[in-house]
Amino acid sequence: MTLVDDLRAILGSDRVHSHPLELLVYNKDAGVTTGEVVAAVLPETTQEVAACVRVAARHGVPVVARGAGTGLAGGAVPTEPALLIVLTRINEIWDVDTVARTAWVGPGVINLDLSRHTEPLGLHYAPDPSSQAACTIGGNVGANAGGPHCLAEGTTVAHILAVEMVTADGDVVVLGGKAPDPPGLDLRGVVVGSEGTLGIVTGVLVKLTQNAPAVRTLLLTFDSIQEAAGTVSAIVAAGIIPAALEMMDRPMVVAVEAFINAGLPVDAEAVLLAEVVGLEAGVAAESQTIERIAGEQGATSVRIAADDAERALLWKARKSAFGAVAQAAPDYYLHDTVVPRTALVDVITEVYAIGERYDVQMLNVFHAGDGNLHPLVAYDSREPGKTEQVRAAAEEMVRVSVAAGGSLTGEHGVGLEKRDLMPLVFAPVDLDAQARLREAFDPEGLLNPGKILPRGSRCYDYGLTALPGEAAP
Amino acid sequence: MMLRQELARLARGLIADPIAGAPEVEITVVPKSYEDAAAVLEFAATNGLRVMFWAGGNHQDIGNQVDPDIVMSTAGLNRIVAWQVEDMTVVVQPGVTVAELEASLQQKNQTAVLPEAPGTETVGGVVAAGLSGWRRLRYGPTRDRMLEVRLVTGDGRLVRGGGRLVKNVTGYDLPRLVTGSLGSLGLIAEMCLKLWPLPEAQATVRVDDPDRALATAYRPLALIATPHGTHAYLAGTHAEVEAQCASLGGEAGEGHRWPEPMVGSHELALRVPAGDVTAQLRLLADLGCDYQAAYGVGEVKLVADGVTLDDLGTLRDAAESAGGSLTTIRGKSDFDPWGTPPSSVELQRRVKAAFDPRRIANPGILPGGV
Repeated sequence: MTLVDDLRAILGSDRVHSHPLELLVYNKDAGVTTGEVVAAVLPETTQEVAACVRVAARHGVPVVARGAGTGLAGGAVPTEPALLIVLTRINEIWDVDTVARTAWVGPGVINLDLSRHTEPLGLHYAPDPSSQAACTIGGNVGANAGGPHCLAEGTTVAHILAVEMVTADGDVVVLGGKAPDPPGLDLRGVVVGSEGTLGIVTGVLVKLTQNAPAVRTLLLTFDSIQEAAGTVSAIVAAGIIPAALEMMDRPMVVAVEAFINAGLPVDAEAVLLAEVVGLEAGVAAESQTIERIAGEQGATSVRIAADDAERALLWKARKSAFGAVAQAAPDYYLHDTVVPRTALVDVITEVYAIGERYDVQMLNVFHAGDGNLHPLVAYDSREPGKTEQVRAAAEEMVRVSVAAGGSLTGEHGVGLEKRDLMPLVFAPVDLDAQARLREAFDPEGLLNPGKILPRGSRCYDYGLTALPGEAAP
Repeated sequence: MMLRQELARLARGLIADPIAGAPEVEITVVPKSYEDAAAVLEFAATNGLRVMFWAGGNHQDIGNQVDPDIVMSTAGLNRIVAWQVEDMTVVVQPGVTVAELEASLQQKNQTAVLPEAPGTETVGGVVAAGLSGWRRLRYGPTRDRMLEVRLVTGDGRLVRGGGRLVKNVTGYDLPRLVTGSLGSLGLIAEMCLKLWPLPEAQATVRVDDPDRALATAYRPLALIATPHGTHAYLAGTHAEVEAQCASLGGEAGEGHRWPEPMVGSHELALRVPAGDVTAQLRLLADLGCDYQAAYGVGEVKLVADGVTLDDLGTLRDAAESAGGSLTTIRGKSDFDPWGTPPSSVELQRRVKAAFDPRRIANPGILPGGV
């Protein structure tokens, strides 16, 4: 029996894809890398996932979990021929608890659908990646996804109370729980963001957040990135952590405006999108403070969304940024580094310099409030040598961010894209510890091998000698 | 004795007198640097000596009993290493007391949201025990503010995980893993914590129906019930606090008075889904226990003095069948400190082994003897 035969015995023929043409859909994500898929399966239950994992293990074929494939770092792209377990069909929402404000959801539930589902209850799911209309909760868990509203609320991990997971052995465990602080080690927290390398998540207990009674969304316009960044720092220094604090530079504003026509100020060097939420009294006060600070920092105009429709339009503008670029250039390469908020201006200045040096078109849209940069390079891969130039520029931007006390990724994940840059931020002993942690979950290296940690991470010689009568460790 | 001499040579100047309240051991060490701690733990691992970590000594009753050969105190690691005021992060060593840290942060109107009535509690103790303060309802658990950790593993490696950044998904999340690990992975030698601005105004309102208050109040700091009544703890701008007080319909007292620590020698934490608190409190009232319940969070602290083991067993069964737990947080007794181990106990054992292969760092302290 071949792997495919065994998988068909579990799922039937309809839900096992192995024809090369069918597999083309699954060999890449929304990023720039591709991989080789042996077969792709569409299980509908946890038990089916477990059975598929056991079969793959028996055939010695690695397993890669996949949601909607909107990831940008290659987390769902195999590094060696693999079985893809596509979890989009496990997409139920059950056990919505309005007192504890939690719900169990399948990994295939689409992020935005969850918030729509709980909206009548006055609740929403806080993390809101730009791809939220397409990306799945399972994928969000894998990447520990972020989004504009993670500034005040934290990234995905702060909103996941428990996961049901199929282990590398094909067993099913539940990590975490609805009650706070379950006894024992917090393995839930490690699984979130582990990109399918520790297990295949088949159920997620999410925390739901109260909808705010009042919301104020402000669009602030500046003549320079420096003034906009200064405003970000001053707002936080005033003791306000807005729900979101997003920045776009002029090239990005121009691209977005051409795309969706939201009335954005196309001659501004930078715009800030700030949102405050809470009780009406607090929102009014915070919004006034932000307006005042922006004025002091040199804002040339302030636009406050008058109603829900205008607010939705401003957010649509922000979240369309990547789509807008896709319209404007044949290819784009989006980066995701994070720096201390105080280093924003210096790093962004460097980023522009890198763009000039490599002669690539640079657009910026980013989560300014938490120092999460998304330099985006628009290019045409048909131009000879351009792709290499873009990659080199991208790597230099990462190095600049790390040198400023930053890190490789704020919300997209390490995946394949940043894997070999991990030694920039971690020493061999740190990577070795992470490799051991991973081995504890997956000793045979069955689950999404070749991701997150560079080859050779598990090599640090820590010099323990054996106890009498014991084999060397 | 040989080992003691050998260790004394290795850890010159680090050997200290026994700590009052700690188990009687032959060797007490007070490392002054991470490298000191690493050298001692490597020595302990090589020689199969069990190590217990000791910070303020406030949370040592949590978990299964450990019978150590060495007690390692965090008293020599007691510096605030860096405070990036504008980035709202602080880097601290485990021996810094919560009171000292919060007092410093307060000067710039910031808080690490650590437990509110700290006494001699240390930051290391709170993080190792995975404890959160009353304000958890508003700000989430301590674990979610752990941005970076430097951990000296049970085999003496000095490992860093996470980063000094408020947002970061680079690599596996060691900072969250060590939070609540009770020293089972090694010594938490340094932590970077995310900070929050202190609110402009605060008030406390007495409420009659906690479930209703929880449903109507918009993100209060805390909603705490005791046998003497329930209070909502509010914060925000002045206008916001006034509006909230009005909506809850109570007489607002200015500022906050957090509940005093309870009197009694055996304290337990009952943790259930937030919707089950009211039902659990009825059981506690029947037993006549003193308690402090965090509504919306699902954590009830209770004094179990005078309650029979049978009654505690019944209470635990009720908590566990609701998907929660009943565990010891202060005082020793014959009551099993953890209850039923989690279904992931084998995985937990393997994860511990990844950091502490010789099982010398607080061995057996976790549920299931992990």
